[in-house]
Amino acid sequence: MEFVQKFITTFQFIVEGLWVTIGVTVVALAVGFVLGILAGVARVYGNKFLAGIGTTYSVVVRAVPVIVIIFILFFVISSLVDLTAFWAGSLALGFASGAYQTEIFRGALRSVSGGQMTAASAIGMSRWQAIRHIILPQALRLALPAWGNEATLVLKDSTLVFAVGVPEVLRRAEYVKARTFDPFFAYSVALLLYLALTLVTTQVLRQAENRYRLRL
Amino acid sequence: MTNSEAAKTQPIVRLEDIYKAFGVTEVLKGVSLSLMPQEVVVLVGPSGTGKSTLLRCVNLLSRPDKGRIWLEELEITAPGVNEDKVRQRVGMVFQEFNLFTHLTALENVMIGMTKVLKMDKRAAHAKALEELERVGLANRADHYPAQLSGGQKQRVAIARALGMDPHVMLFDEPTSALDPELTGEVLAVMQKLAFEGMTMMVVSHEMGFAREVADRVVFMEGGYIVEAGPPEQMFDHPQVDRTRVSQ
Ligand SMILES: Nc1ncnc2c1ncn2[C@@H]1O[C@H](COP(=O)(O)OP(=O)(O)O)[C@@H](O)[C@H]1O
Ligand SMILES: [Mg+2]
Repeated sequence: MEFVQKFITTFQFIVEGLWVTIGVTVVALAVGFVLGILAGVARVYGNKFLAGIGTTYSVVVRAVPVIVIIFILFFVISSLVDLTAFWAGSLALGFASGAYQTEIFRGALRSVSGGQMTAASAIGMSRWQAIRHIILPQALRLALPAWGNEATLVLKDSTLVFAVGVPEVLRRAEYVKARTFDPFFAYSVALLLYLALTLVTTQVLRQAENRYRLRL
Repeated sequence: MTNSEAAKTQPIVRLEDIYKAFGVTEVLKGVSLSLMPQEVVVLVGPSGTGKSTLLRCVNLLSRPDKGRIWLEELEITAPGVNEDKVRQRVGMVFQEFNLFTHLTALENVMIGMTKVLKMDKRAAHAKALEELERVGLANRADHYPAQLSGGQKQRVAIARALGMDPHVMLFDEPTSALDPELTGEVLAVMQKLAFEGMTMMVVSHEMGFAREVADRVVFMEGGYIVEAGPPEQMFDHPQVDRTRVSQ
């Protein structure tokens, strides 16, 4: 009985961090999505200059540990602009994820057949219209499986923001452990929550994949 | 000559001494050709001769290195001409169909109208249905390309080009990717278009089509036009030996 009681109390405390974890993940994925699309399009369809920026961003950021980017945003950038730990952590994760998403979208854009651009040009679409209305919608569908994988990676990487004190699931598990000296319950609850989140995310993305599959 | 007569005798397309090279490969070596209104010209010749390249010059998908091209009164090779505007007036149909895979047949036809011509959705929807009707596929409006046969895909591609109200249609081997039993339906649509008065430039190996529908057959080889004339003359009394051989 004590076991169950302890579990419930621990759970109730830690679960409040769930929204923070979800918040960090969603912000990071959204920021990474925008950066990834921009850099991916720049690399595949941009001129030398834009493609260079896209490549540099992707190569440099992927070479740096995510935690370093989080520290840079939290300790360096946030001394210049007013950033809470939540935003510093989320934006840093998004900045990092954007580099990986760049690679995902670059691959997807490249796998759209060249005939699609030719056909779009032939009906008078400008290059930008063709990218926007023909190429990107197809690339996004092709990117979905890889993007889903990135989403679960970001979800797990969201634990890293605990290092700057964002009260997400792992941070709250740490509180519990420090207070109760009982790591078992703290980490079990954290594990279960991450497991549940990942399973739900995977399911949702699988539905989306089936729904938007590009039939060739 | 009165104005209306001048308009009648003005070519839809005029190519003047077109040169085009890819790197060191000279593909077009001085090609001149005009298409009069409602004329159907079928381009024949061995592969690698520059037929596709010539066709692609007409809508500036390929830019000639030298030479000039007019589309009606507009010299499209002149500096500062908007390529996208030119392409709105020239329909093109490809060997590989190139339908937009994420869109239904109807959406394939609509998207140029809504995004390029900025028609409103309802008008575009109605017109797209009409164009599908024209190629006999109104009942396939909601099908995705993957759900259509090759012949149906190519007919949707024709409808997509027609939706822009082109002044001339270019066909680059429209039936070459099709199973033999599916070429008929596409050729029938093209024949109907020709009959309705569309100006057409067709690269094709379909000699039956050339014989029946072409006003003029143009034989290309090695980057030159080596012979041109009405189909009867080209097929029955060729001047150049190769025309005979190619049959
Ligand atoms: N974009 C291109 N880049 C390089 N070479 C090309 C390109 N397009 C065509 N060619 C070359 O030009 C020649 C003529 O091609 P094409 O116009 O397709 O001939 P056809 O349609 O008569 O078969 C071929 O040797 C082909 O390899
Ligand atoms: Mg060809």
